[in-house]
Amino acid sequence: MTEIPCPIISDTDPDAEGVVATWFVTDGDQVREGDLIAEVAVDKVDMEIPAPASGVIRLLAKEGDVLTQGTVVARIE
Amino acid sequence: MHLSAGQEPVAAGVCAHLTTDDAVTATHRPHHFAIAHGVDLRKMAAEIFGRVDGLGHGRGGHMHLFDPDTHVSCSGIIAEGYPPALGQALAFQRQGNARIAVAVTGEGAANQGAFHESLNLASLWKLPVVFVVEDNDWGISVPRSASTCVTSNAVRAAGYDMPGERVEDNSVEAVHAAAERAVARARAGEGPSLIEVHTLRLWGHFEGDAQGYRPDLEGVPGRDPLPTYEAELRRAGVLGDAGAREAADAAAQRVEDAIAFAKQSAEPAPETARDYVFA
Amino acid sequence: MTLTEPSSPVPTSTQRKLSTAKAMVEGIAQEMERDPGVFVLGEDVGSYGGIFSSTTGLLEKFGPQRVLDTPISETAFIGTAIGAAVEGMRPIVELMFVDFFGVCMDQIYNHMAKIHFESGGNVTVPMVLTTAVGGGYSDGAQHSQCLWGTFAHLPGMKVVVPSTPADAKGLMISAIRDDNPVVYLFHKGIMGLPWMAKNRRSIGPVPEDEYEVPIGKASIVRPGRDVTIVTLSLSVHHALDVADELAGDNVECEVIDLRSLVPMDTDTILESVGRTGRLLVVDEDYLSFGLSGEVIARVVERDPTLLRAPARRVCVPDVPIPYARSLEYAVLPTADRIRRAVLEVVTA
Repeated sequence: MTEIPCPIISDTDPDAEGVVATWFVTDGDQVREGDLIAEVAVDKVDMEIPAPASGVIRLLAKEGDVLTQGTVVARIE
Repeated sequence: MHLSAGQEPVAAGVCAHLTTDDAVTATHRPHHFAIAHGVDLRKMAAEIFGRVDGLGHGRGGHMHLFDPDTHVSCSGIIAEGYPPALGQALAFQRQGNARIAVAVTGEGAANQGAFHESLNLASLWKLPVVFVVEDNDWGISVPRSASTCVTSNAVRAAGYDMPGERVEDNSVEAVHAAAERAVARARAGEGPSLIEVHTLRLWGHFEGDAQGYRPDLEGVPGRDPLPTYEAELRRAGVLGDAGAREAADAAAQRVEDAIAFAKQSAEPAPETARDYVFA
Repeated sequence: MTLTEPSSPVPTSTQRKLSTAKAMVEGIAQEMERDPGVFVLGEDVGSYGGIFSSTTGLLEKFGPQRVLDTPISETAFIGTAIGAAVEGMRPIVELMFVDFFGVCMDQIYNHMAKIHFESGGNVTVPMVLTTAVGGGYSDGAQHSQCLWGTFAHLPGMKVVVPSTPADAKGLMISAIRDDNPVVYLFHKGIMGLPWMAKNRRSIGPVPEDEYEVPIGKASIVRPGRDVTIVTLSLSVHHALDVADELAGDNVECEVIDLRSLVPMDTDTILESVGRTGRLLVVDEDYLSFGLSGEVIARVVERDPTLLRAPARRVCVPDVPIPYARSLEYAVLPTADRIRRAVLEVVTA
């Protein structure tokens, strides 16, 4: 099992937050390593989250959720 | 048809510095530039006659001459030939081979947005362009004094951070000298320049224009640049009777040959009217 | 350099998914990698990445020599694209909003679209003019129009309008490779932008390799026996939503996504109407003198007996797009208006 954290948004602020803007997968989808799975909106930029491994994805956040960097947003089983 | 008579010094003076690898974008009055830049006279004549052997197989006509062999193109819309010239210059800049684009327009066009947008972009990107403005005093029937707030469009070049030069007397040698500087600057990658030439519309806006609006007509024939320059060359001792006759005969022969070619070429078949819309 | 044969553009549900914007950018990037003559220019296409994300990441990947931010000079920079295309390059030039065509239309319809014809086929103008269209987000009368019918009306340019991520990529690649000028209109509401209204159909499976979607070929995106809905762009999504819903009431809608206006796939429309006998055209462009009338005319011209009921249209009535949301949604071709029209056609 691989946990997928919200990407590091700020080197200086450990509590920096982003918003889950778009899921490109749905819960239970089969994904391949490198596939785009989500985009997190931070101020004026969007950060992409690629799948770190292949497997079945389980989503742990909804679009619109505000998350602190490092929070686990999904798991790949 | 918009005849170029009287404006020959502009084309001759500028195109002397070009090869057919350089691009020329002319106006609704394009023939002097097409000839000076080496467009096949037969194909050009056939296009003016609307025949199948014309440059555009009769689809373009006298103010839409396109010749990929010499990179000559035209626009019948005032000032709108400038922007495509920027793109040709951009392509040449990327090729890095010192080719340049010459964009021609008239003094009336210098009040159009396309003129000003083009000067800004060309200067911003240091494109290898020579902008030529042919000031023939008339925008159809409106004199320059009634259309333009500056006495020289060359001063407008300063607003776009490029050299601007005005040639006052329709002199082919003065045009040649100004163009030499502008072409050298463009080829060196230093960016565009603007040359305005105070030239002469020897005849009407179009063939058949009675020009009732034009108070200067009386003196115009005496300002025809061809006999004027011939006389100048004779005075300087570089042209004699034989040379003058030879040049005139050769030119007349080329024109007659081109017209004969055009006349024998077929008119396009009506059933081909929908051809060439798409590649 | 090897050109891949156009692969099947049919996406499968197991493929990775992209938004329409990302699919469009992927198509551009793959062509830029393949052909050094392809470059992008326009307003805010560089570090901004296109205000509707149509060029995101291209500057970082290809640098400022191939992704050029321009001054606000549409006439100059669209003309620049034309001249570069004449000299053999393959520019992609973005007109930020289609509504802005008024300041540069001469370059588009008198130059881009006519040079090939005027030259008797001796000069080609291989370029793509991309532009954002459509309303629904209170941007007012000068930033919400579709206007594709205006371009399609004028000869000499192909006109394509994708509605899905897979088509957005495949049509982009086809447009870049085409030797003609192609106007590529993308609706802001299909791009999958996080800051626009969420649209589940704006994210979908997209093949990773390069592929072409043929220009001039419509797609039957949902088969049905009762009525043919001919539509395009965001309205395809609304039509599919209505079709899903009415299927529960035993009304089966066939939805045709035109994808191309020029050339238009008349045969697919005729074949479908021949089966259903009923026709509804849904178009986010203005009602009169446009696409919807053209589609109906093509059917009636070929065979007026195909229609068992009068054809209907759901379009923007001939008013500028209003600002207030209540008014804007009163004129847009919403699912409600489409549903009512379908029911009228099938019961007529």
